[in-house]
Formats: sequence, structure tokens, C-alpha cells
Amino acid sequence: MGWLSVPKDWIASFGDITKFMARVMGEVYSLRVMKFFGESLRQAGILILGSAVVIWGLAFIIGLTCGIEGAYFNRSVGAPAYAGVFSAWCDLREAMPYAFGYMMSAKVGTGLVAEIGAMKISDEVDALEVMGISSLTFLCSTRLLAAWMVLPFIYIAAVGAGFLASYLAVVQQIGEVSSGGFFLIFWMFQNPPDLLFSVIKGMMMATVIVLVGCYYGYTAGGGPVGVGTATAKSMVLNTVAVHIIGMVGTQIFWGSNPRAPIGG
Amino acid sequence: MADEERNDPPWGRPVQSDEVEGRHGGEDEGRSEQDVAHADGDDYPGSHDEAEPRHDSGDYDSSEYDDDAPDSNTQRDVVMHSPEGDADEPDMRVTNEAVPDSIKDQTREGEEPYQWHSGTKRDHGSTDAIEFIDVKKSFGRNTILNGLNLGIPDNQISMILGPSGTGKSVCIKHMVGLLYPDEGDVLVHGESVPNMVDDELFEMRKKFGVLFQDGALFGSMNVLDNTAFPLRQHTDKGDEEILEICHRRLAEVGLSGALDKMPNELSGGMRKRAGFARALVLDPDIVLFDEPDSGLDPVRTALLCELIQEVHAENGGAYAVITHDIMSARRVADYIAVLWKGRIVESGPASELFNSPNQFVRQFLSGEARGPLGME
Repeated sequence: MGWLSVPKDWIASFGDITKFMARVMGEVYSLRVMKFFGESLRQAGILILGSAVVIWGLAFIIGLTCGIEGAYFNRSVGAPAYAGVFSAWCDLREAMPYAFGYMMSAKVGTGLVAEIGAMKISDEVDALEVMGISSLTFLCSTRLLAAWMVLPFIYIAAVGAGFLASYLAVVQQIGEVSSGGFFLIFWMFQNPPDLLFSVIKGMMMATVIVLVGCYYGYTAGGGPVGVGTATAKSMVLNTVAVHIIGMVGTQIFWGSNPRAPIGG
Repeated sequence: MADEERNDPPWGRPVQSDEVEGRHGGEDEGRSEQDVAHADGDDYPGSHDEAEPRHDSGDYDSSEYDDDAPDSNTQRDVVMHSPEGDADEPDMRVTNEAVPDSIKDQTREGEEPYQWHSGTKRDHGSTDAIEFIDVKKSFGRNTILNGLNLGIPDNQISMILGPSGTGKSVCIKHMVGLLYPDEGDVLVHGESVPNMVDDELFEMRKKFGVLFQDGALFGSMNVLDNTAFPLRQHTDKGDEEILEICHRRLAEVGLSGALDKMPNELSGGMRKRAGFARALVLDPDIVLFDEPDSGLDPVRTALLCELIQEVHAENGGAYAVITHDIMSARRVADYIAVLWKGRIVESGPASELFNSPNQFVRQFLSGEARGPLGME
């Protein structure tokens, strides 16, 4: 049946990607990647210099949005002092992971596909292999290790940028609650485990995005057009994956216990 | 089984496809499995010099085989078929039924696909560094190698010549284990490449230096770092020593003034020369060149050929050059193998091949329009 070929292809691709991810992570967990630790450090530097400011900028803008929306909504229901609730939840639990995921997909994920894919079609990957170097470890595992080394800090800083933006919007721009009143509510509606869960969500997204990017780059073929197609495919898959991870993360971490100090 | 199926390797025991249970068909498939050795190890040792013809498989006529190859140990060093007889009565014919469609498509109507493939392998006076044994490789329905038997002699510059799209680059990728045969075997210094596990494969690849068509320099590194890369990864040499080696190699290829340049700042010829320097820094036993003359003007092609000869004279080893440029072959080749439709038409010392009576070889090596090779 012709129509069955589409889901069959999806399942086959999913299997391929899963197998690839397992191999790349296996190279990191087995510490084989440490043979190329210098390359990991170089990739970490590229992530910091090339992506951190962009991610923080987006986080800041999202934080402003959360603050403004929250402040006006609370004013409309007659509780402007509670604008911090909206900021706390929006920034930490949802908006920051998604903003981080979107920017990682758009900048880092597609960048990986383009870079590794270009290396693939210009024989650089083969050149690595014939030098006796595992291209999978050198190109993919080093990038995953770099992401794990650097991105938690970038993510936490992004959350900080979002908090700052919300504070500026609610307290300094709209100004219907004092600084002390804002922070009282703001900190009441979050605690350290929430930050940890948020970081876990963000890192799950980052890991999948890096691996998907590496997969589509590493398996690219068919010249520049093939690399372009692979880049588009990776963007689609990463966008879907970001939302699935976001939804599942929220269900697991806050679905049964929202930890909201309401009603005593 | 008569003439039609005598497409066996002319210098050794034909490896029947069902005897080889190696890692075939994909880079990932079964690579970690340790049990990929040949099913019949005694009959198929690493060095196929020792392999005895086994006539009990029933897949070919042993008496006819023996007529041509009375002693398996000397088969490599003798002319197996009379070149004079090629045009009138080809020895290596196969029936059209045995030939894949993609090969038939390259054949003129009414002609046998392999009528010019005498398989003649003339004595080159050396041992083989690399051997292809009845290698078959297809991509989908497209058959690229269809029973390839080839030896690349040690300490000589070999050229694999053939029309475009006939499987020359695929050959190189089989030599270094970037591709694996669907059937047959590839031996490097007597060791089966498809049967190596990852660590063995990476270790074996250290014997190789490969010059890719466009140099395959790493875009993120300058020329010096590109050249130093294999030394930094594989040796414990200090930075001073590494730089000394790189400067020497880059001076040999005339790139002393381009150390700091990035690959995108180099011309095509410079990229090739930089790739050549990088291929040489580990003093490899085997150096492979994938169309080193493509995209170069005739003068630079001649200079690159000269450079290949000079470096080979200095370092020795097995050099294999893939090309379809006849001038390059005349300049540098000690040994020539002509590949067409996934099989060797003829192979032997360059001087003998250029005087071959085989019509296909003669047409190809003289670049004539009229002859067995058309636009099919």
C-alpha cells in the first residue's frame, strides 16, 4: 500500500536517529570523546561567543512580554500586586525553556547541520576517517560534550535575563507594585527545585537539538541542495521535539503538584 | 559452464560469493561484531597467495580453469590470456543474464558487456599492497563494481584509468574502508578490510595518505594547522617537531608562503598541494590520489605529476592514482589498470599497456573517438 510507505519511512528515520544518538552519547559516556577534548573546548567557545548573547537577548524580550502581560492581566482582575505570579511561572517554567529551545533550534541546530553537512559533501568527513580518526566522535560527540559543559550556565543566565526583564516591566515600566511587593510574590511562587526542573527541560531540548543537528549534518548527501534540505528537516523535527519535551516536562514536573501557595 | 562464466580472477582462486560472510553493504552494519570472519577460514586466509583453488563448489568448470591457471602460486605473474585473441575471441565473456541491468545499459546493442575485458594481469615484479578479490558493489539498482579483481603493486606508482562513472572513486573508498563490498574482499597488506573491527580499521588507515579531489582541507583551519592535524592527533611529537615536519612538507609542495591562509583563500591547485602535504606528514605506506588533475590546467597538472614522482622517489610506498587523464598516466605511471563497467579490462606495467593490442585499451589510452567505447 502506497500510503503506508510514509509512516514506514518515519519509523525508519526515527530508528536511525535513535541509533545515531545512542552512538554519539555512548562515545561521550565511554569517555572516548576525551581524546578530542581540545575540540570540545573549541566548540564550547564557539557556543559561548556565537550563541549566548542571542539566547539571552531573546530571553530578555520574552521576560518583558511575560511581565507586561502579567501586570495588565492582574490589574484587570483587581490584583496588580500579584503580577509576580505570572512572571515567576511564565519565565521559569514555560517561556524560558521554549525561548531557549527555539533559539537553539534556529541558531545552533541549523548551524550544526550546515557545518557538518558542508564538511560531508566536501569530503572533509571522509578525510577525517582516512586519517584514522572517528568522524562521529570528532564531529558529533565533541559538540555534545561542549553543549553539556556550557549550556546549563547559558540557560541559567537566560533565566536571569528573563527575570530581570519581567522586573523592569512590572515594577519600573508599569509600576503598580513596589519592588518589595513584586519580589515577595515572585519568590513565593517558585523554589529551587523549579529551577532545577526548568534546567532539565532546557537541557533535554538542547541535547536533542544538538543530536538532531549532528544527525542531519552527518547523513547529508546530494550536494548543497541536500544540505539545505537536511537543514530544513532538522528545523522541523527540532521544533516538534522542543514542544513535546516542553509538554512532557511540564506534565512530569508540575502536572501533579503545581506548587502554588494558593488557598493556604 | 563453459566460456561464458569464466570471469574468475585471473591470478588466484575465485572467491565465491557465498563463501564470504564479512561486513558488507553498509558502514554500520555489524561493524562491532567480532564474528565477521570468513566462513571458511582455511580456504580463505588473509594472504590469498596461499589460497588453493577449490574446484568442488561446482560453480565453474575446473578443467577449463586449470588450462589457463596450472599453478595458483604463479598465476599472478603470468599473462593469463592471449591479448592477440581478445578482439576475435574474448575470453571473459559472460552471458547477458548474469549482467546487471545498469551494466547492460552501458553496452551497445548486440555486443557482449565484457567482450573487451580480457582480465590480463601482466607481471609487475612486485608484491601487491592492495588487492581486490571479486568485489561487487551496488547502490540500489546501480551496479558499480561487478566482480573487480585488481592488485595495486607495492613501491610503484599505479594508475587506475577508466571512463567517467565506472567506479574509480568507489575503488578508493573500498581501499580505506569507507565503503564495503557487497561481495568479495579487499586486502591491504594481506588483511581483509571488511572484516576489521573499528579499532583495527582506524589503525589500518594510519598506513594511508589520501588526496581527495578538492584537497578536503578542513575549512576551520589554516594550511599549517591542516597539515599538522594528523601529527597532533596520532603522534606524541612536540609542537616544534610537528612544525618542522609541516614546514618541510609544505616546502616540498611549494606552499611555504601560504601557511596562514585559510582553504577558501587558496586556488584549486594550492588546495590539492596542501592536501598532498597533509597526506604525507605521517609517512604513509600507501598514498591514494583521487583525480589529482581534475580542475587543473595542463601546466599545473604536469607540475603536480612531477611532484608525485619526486615525492615517491624520495619516500617509496604504493601510490595509486585515480584519473582519466592519459597525459598524466604517460608521465607518472609505472603500472596501469584500465577499469570499465566495474571490472578491469587489462592491467600491467605502463609500457606494456600502452602497446596493448586490446582494442578498448588502445582506444582509451590514445583517446580516440572510434572504438568499443561510445557515449553509452
